[in-house]
Amino acid sequence: MFLRMVKGALTRQKGKMVMIAFTILLGASLATAMLNIMFDVGDKVNQELKAYGANIIVKPKDNSVLEDLYEVDGEDEIQSSYLQENEIGKIKTIFWTYSIVDFAPFLETTADVNGTAVTVTGSWFNHHLSLPSGEELDAGIVGLRSWWDIEDGQWLDEKVNPDGIMVGTTLAQTLGIRAGDRITLTTDNASKNLLVVGIYNSGADDDDQMITNLDIVQELANTGDLISSIEVSALTSPDDELAQKAARDPMSLSVSEYEVWYCTAYVSSICYQIQEVIPDAVASPVRQVADSEGAIMEKTQLLMILITILSLLGSALGISNLVTASVMERSNEIGLLKAIGAKDGAVSSLVLTEILITAVIGGIAGYFVGYGFAQIIGKSVFDSSIEMKPIVIPIVSVLIILVTLAGSIPAIRMLLKMKPAEVLHGR
Amino acid sequence: MKKRTMFFRMITASLIRRRSRMFIALLAIAVGATILSGLTTIYYDVPRQMGEQFRNYGANMIFMASALNEEGLTSDILEQGLTQIPDSKIVGCAPYRYETVTINNQPVIVAGTDLQGVSKTSPYWFVDGEWPSSNGQILIGKQIAETLSCGIGDTLLMTYSEEAIENPEQPDEVPDRGLNADAVNIEFTITGILDTGGNEESYIFMSLEDISELTGEGPYDVCELSVSASSEELTGYVDNITSRDLGITPRLVKRVTQSETTVLTKLQSLVFLVTIVVLMLMMICVATTMMAVVTERRKEIGLRKALGASDRSIVVEFMGEGMMLGAVGGLIGSFMGFAFAQAVSVNVFNSTITLRPILVPITIVASVIVTGIACLIPVRRTTEVNPALVLKGE
Repeated sequence: MFLRMVKGALTRQKGKMVMIAFTILLGASLATAMLNIMFDVGDKVNQELKAYGANIIVKPKDNSVLEDLYEVDGEDEIQSSYLQENEIGKIKTIFWTYSIVDFAPFLETTADVNGTAVTVTGSWFNHHLSLPSGEELDAGIVGLRSWWDIEDGQWLDEKVNPDGIMVGTTLAQTLGIRAGDRITLTTDNASKNLLVVGIYNSGADDDDQMITNLDIVQELANTGDLISSIEVSALTSPDDELAQKAARDPMSLSVSEYEVWYCTAYVSSICYQIQEVIPDAVASPVRQVADSEGAIMEKTQLLMILITILSLLGSALGISNLVTASVMERSNEIGLLKAIGAKDGAVSSLVLTEILITAVIGGIAGYFVGYGFAQIIGKSVFDSSIEMKPIVIPIVSVLIILVTLAGSIPAIRMLLKMKPAEVLHGR
Repeated sequence: MKKRTMFFRMITASLIRRRSRMFIALLAIAVGATILSGLTTIYYDVPRQMGEQFRNYGANMIFMASALNEEGLTSDILEQGLTQIPDSKIVGCAPYRYETVTINNQPVIVAGTDLQGVSKTSPYWFVDGEWPSSNGQILIGKQIAETLSCGIGDTLLMTYSEEAIENPEQPDEVPDRGLNADAVNIEFTITGILDTGGNEESYIFMSLEDISELTGEGPYDVCELSVSASSEELTGYVDNITSRDLGITPRLVKRVTQSETTVLTKLQSLVFLVTIVVLMLMMICVATTMMAVVTERRKEIGLRKALGASDRSIVVEFMGEGMMLGAVGGLIGSFMGFAFAQAVSVNVFNSTITLRPILVPITIVASVIVTGIACLIPVRRTTEVNPALVLKGE
C-alpha cells in the first residue's frame, strides 16, 4: 500500500515532481562541475605554467664558478667536470617520474663562423628516448622554450635535419644569416657545415647565440658523450612548511615526515630524487620558476575553492527552497491523510520517500550533466579533459540528500502541527 | 491615481501577508543575485589580482643604453625613461652596474644595485641570512660563496684597479696590492647568501653607493623593471620609449611576458566559463522557485477571474509582485555579492577591491528580468484556465 501511494504520487503529480527533479538536477550538476574543476584545476594550471620553462637545473657537483669567471675574461671555457649523456634517461626512473614533463641536456662551446667567435649550444630538440622501462618519449627544448618566436624558418627537427642549426635573431643580423643558408663552424677539433633551419627570438641573451644538435657540439668541443647541464621541467606541489624544512636539510626530518616529503611532488624532493639516480650531480630548483609556480597555483586553487563553496551554497539554497515550497503546497493532501487517521510518522515517511526518490533521480542525472559541463570548460579552457574524480560522487550524494532533507523536514513538521480541519478548510 | 494606489496596496499586502512564502522566493532571488554580482566582480578583478601574483616571476622589461648613446644609462636618462610608464603600474625597478673586482687576486663579478628595488623585481630571491641594510654589507651568490669558502658574517677584501682588470690572467704581476697606486681596497661584510638556482648565484651584490666607492661613478649597465600591465600595454610603453629617442633601448623579457599572457588568458577564461555556468544554473533555479510560488496561487487567480478581473490585470499584478521581489532581491544580492568578492579577494590575494557601482543596477535589472520571465510563464498558463475548474481544485 505504501509503495502504491508513493508510486501514485510520483506518476500522478508528474509535472510537479519533474520540476523538483529538474531543480535538483541543476543543483547537482553545478556541484559536480565545480567540484571536478576544483580538484583538477591545480594540475591543469601547473601544466600551463610549464610555459615558463624548466624549474629544476641539474649540474655536475664540482662545477665551480671558474667557468663564469673565465668567460668574462674572454678565456677559453674550462669546465672541470661534466655529466654523462647516457645518464639523462635516469631522470625518468625516479619515484615521481610522471611529474617530469620535459628535459634537455646542454653543452656550450665557442666556434668560429667566418672569423667571428660565437657561442654554440648543443641540446636536444625533439629527441626520441626509449627507456629501459619500455616507455618511449620525446624530450627537448621545443617544449622547454615555448616562448621563443621563430622569426624565419621553423623549429629544428632532429630526424629531418641532423645537420641543422638555429641562430639567434641578433646574431643572425650581425652575420647576415637567413634560414636556408649554410654556415661553417670551425673549432680546433673539428669543422662542420650546417644548414640554418630557423632564426629564433628569445628576448634574452640567447639571441646572440646558436643552438644545434648535441652531438655536433660534442664533436666540435671534443668532449665525447659529455654534457654540462640538464634542464628539467616537472609538475610540482606548492611548497609548505615541511618542504621548507626539508629544503634546508632532508636529514633533519623525522622518519614519518621524510616519507611524506619523499612521496610528495615538492620541487625539493624531486631534486633529491634526481640526485639519487645521478650521483655526481647537484639538482637545484630554479627559484624564479619554482617559487612563482607555487604561489600562482596556491592562489588559483584557493580562488576555485571559494567559488565552489559559493556555488554549492547557492545550489543548496535553491534546492531546499523549492522542496520546502512543494511540501507546503501539499497541505491539503496531508490534512486529508491525517483526517482519515494516518499517523504523523506514516505521513512524513510517505512525503520523504517521494521527495528522496525524486532527489536521487535528479541527482544522478545532474551528476552526468555536471560532468558534461566540467568537460566543456576543460576542453575550451585547457584543451584537455577534466579528470573524473571518484570523491565527487559521495560528496554530491551527501550534499543532495542533506539539502533535500533540510528543505523538507521543517516544512513537514510545520504541516503536521496544523489541525486537519483547519488545513482542509483552507486557512 | 486611485488605481495605482490600489495596485501597490494589493502587491505589498500580498507580499506581507504571505510572509514565509515570499521570504523563500526572496531568498532564492537574493542568492542568485549574490552569485551574479560576486562572480562578475571576481571575473573583472582576476586579471589585476593574478597579474600581481605573476610579478613573482620577476622583471618583465629591461632598459639598456641604446647603441647611439655614448653616456650610457645614467640616472637622468633612466629617470626620463621611467616617466613614460605610469607610476601605479611599476611594481619594482632595479638598476644594475656590473664590475669585475678581485678577491685574493681572483676575478669576481660584483653587481651594484638598488637592493630594495631588487626585492621587488625579483621576489623569488631566497636569501639565507639578511639583506644588506647599511653600507659595507654585501649579498653573496651561493656558488661563489662555496668557491671562496666564506659564510655569513665573514669579511671580504675587494680590490679594484683598472690595470688588474685589464690583465686578469696575470694577477701575479701585481704581487702586492698596496704598491698599486690606482687600486682601491675595501672590506665588506657578508650578511646573506643568495640562492636562486640561476646565474645570480655566481655574483656578489652590493648597494650602488658601495660600488661607486669601490670602482668610481659610472652609468648603469641595465635596469630591470617589473611592470604590472598586459602585454599590449607593455608593447605600447616599449614603442613609446623607443620613439622618443631618450637614449634607452627598452626590451621585453619574452619568457616572462609571453608566458604570463598565455597563463593569464587561460585563467580568465576559466573564471569566465565557470561564471557563465553558475549563472545559468542559478537563473534556472530562481525561475523554478518563482514558478512554484506562483503556481501555488492558481486558486487566487481563479477567484479573481470569477469576480471579473481581466487576464491583463492579473498578469500585470503578478508581474508587479515578481518584479518588486526581483528588485529587492537584486539589491540585497548585489551587496552580498560584493561582500563575497571582497572576502575572496582578502583571503586569496590579501588585497581589497573597490565596489563597481555599475554592477548594482545591472544586478537589479537582471534579477527583475529573470523573476519577471519566471512569473510570466505560470501566470499566463493559469489565466488560460477556466476559473470554475481552478476553483473546484483540479
